[in-house]
Amino acid sequence: MRDAPELLERARELTGRSLRQARLVTDTTNFMNLELGDVLEVEGRRFVLKGTEYEGRFGLDEQPKYWVKRAVDWEDGSAKILKLEFFEEFDISRGGIKVRCYRSPAKEARILAMVKGNPNFMQGVTLRDEAGNLVRVLERIHGGPLDQHLQKLECDHLEYFQRHMRGVLTKLSVALEAIGWLHNQGAHHGDIRRDHLFVDETSGAWPWIDFDYKFEFKQNPYGLDLFGLGNVLTYAVARRDITHHLVRQEYPQAVETLSNEDFSPVIKNRLMNLKKIYPYLPESLNNVLLHFSNGAAVFYERVEELMAELTPAIAELPQEEG
Amino acid sequence: MPIWNRILATVDEHDISLEAVRYLAGVLGGSDACRVRIMSVYQAPEADAHPKQEERAAAAAQRKEVLLDRLEEARQILVGARIAAYNVSTRLEEAGGRTIAETIMAAQLQGGFGTIVVGRRGVSKAEEFLFGSVSSSIVHQATDCAVWVIN
Repeated sequence: MRDAPELLERARELTGRSLRQARLVTDTTNFMNLELGDVLEVEGRRFVLKGTEYEGRFGLDEQPKYWVKRAVDWEDGSAKILKLEFFEEFDISRGGIKVRCYRSPAKEARILAMVKGNPNFMQGVTLRDEAGNLVRVLERIHGGPLDQHLQKLECDHLEYFQRHMRGVLTKLSVALEAIGWLHNQGAHHGDIRRDHLFVDETSGAWPWIDFDYKFEFKQNPYGLDLFGLGNVLTYAVARRDITHHLVRQEYPQAVETLSNEDFSPVIKNRLMNLKKIYPYLPESLNNVLLHFSNGAAVFYERVEELMAELTPAIAELPQEEG
Repeated sequence: MPIWNRILATVDEHDISLEAVRYLAGVLGGSDACRVRIMSVYQAPEADAHPKQEERAAAAAQRKEVLLDRLEEARQILVGARIAAYNVSTRLEEAGGRTIAETIMAAQLQGGFGTIVVGRRGVSKAEEFLFGSVSSSIVHQATDCAVWVIN
C-alpha cells in the first residue's frame, strides 16, 4: 500500500464521508487491514471501499465477512460488492452429518463467467490484483432475499394460496431451472438457501447469489443443491419454516396425524408434508414436497426430475388475480 | 453380452467393501469357474477444493495409496480362499467427471461382467438424500447383469 493524498477528494466524494486519508491498494492479500476510503486498483479499474458486508442467517446475529466489501466504482459511482480472495476449508453439519466444505474464489469466478448475462444469477467480473488474487466485482442487486419479499405479502396462508402462490412458484420455477442449467454445465451452486435467492426489484428477476462453496461429493454431486431447493420450495409454499414445535402451537389438531415420514430426513424437525396443516394444497404439489421427506422412496437426483412434477403441479394452483 | 461368471467386485476405503469380498470368497472359494476383477474408483482431488498444486498432489497420492492397498488386500482374500491367482485381477479406475456408480457401470459394460458385487454401508436416510448411495445407484442402473449387494 502507498499513501496517495490526491485520491482523497474523489474518495470523499464517492463515500460521502469526511475521510482523513485514502490509500491506494493494489494487493488485497491482507484484506483485514483494508479501511473505509481505501481505493482498490485492479486491472486498471478503481473502487473506493465503503465498508464490510455482514451476513445474517435467519434472525441470527450478523457476522462480518471481512473479505466482502461494499464499494463504489471510481468511474461512474455505481455500487459494487467486492469479494476478495479468501480460501478456507471447514466442516458444516447437515442433518448431524459433518461435511467438509471449501470456500473457493476460483469456483465462484468460473461460475460468474459462465452465467454472464444470465438474469437468474448475480452478475459480475473477476479481476486479478497485483499479487494475483481473484477480486470478484459484483453488481449490487436492488432488492432483498426471497423470504423478505414473501413476508411483504400481507395476507394469511389461505389467501396467499388463493391469490399469490401460483405466481410465486412460477417465478421460483425459473430459478430452479436455472440451477438445473448450472448442473448441466458441470457446476453446482453449493449453498442454496432462501436468503441466497434475491428478488431484483428493478428487473423483476430472481437471481441466485454466492457460489463460492465447494464440496467434494463421491456419489450424488447435486444432492446438496437439491436439498437446498427442497427447502426453498417448501418455504415458498408455507411462507415460513414449519417445525414440529410450530405445529403443536398453531395446529394442535394436526399433531396426532404426524409421523416421522412427514419430516425432512436432514432437518429433523422441519415438516415437509404441508398438506397436514394446509389441507387445501393440491396432492400434486404436496407430492413434490414429499420427495424431500423421510417418507420418500426415491429422492430427486436431478432438477429435471423435480421440474417434471412441479410444473404440472403449479398449473393446478388457483389462478393469480390480476 | 455379459458372462455371468465374470465377476466385478468393487472395493473402496470403507471396511464393508472388504466384507463383501470375504463373502465372495466364501461363495467362490476353491472354484476355478469364475474370473474376478476387483475394482476401485479413484476420484481425483479437485482444484477448487485443493488450490495449491503440491497439496493436491499429496491428497491424490494418499487417496490412491489407500485404494491400492485395499485392492491388494481384497486380492489376497480371494487368492487365500483358493481362487486361482490367474483368475483374479485388480484395477484402479479413474472416475473423471463421472460418479462412482457410473464408473462401475461403464466398467461392467466394457468388460462384459455378468455379476457386480458391492458392499452397502447402511447409510442413513439423510446421507442417502445428500450424498447418494453407490449400491442403490448400481441397482437402479443395472439392466443386464446380476448385482450382489452385501450388507
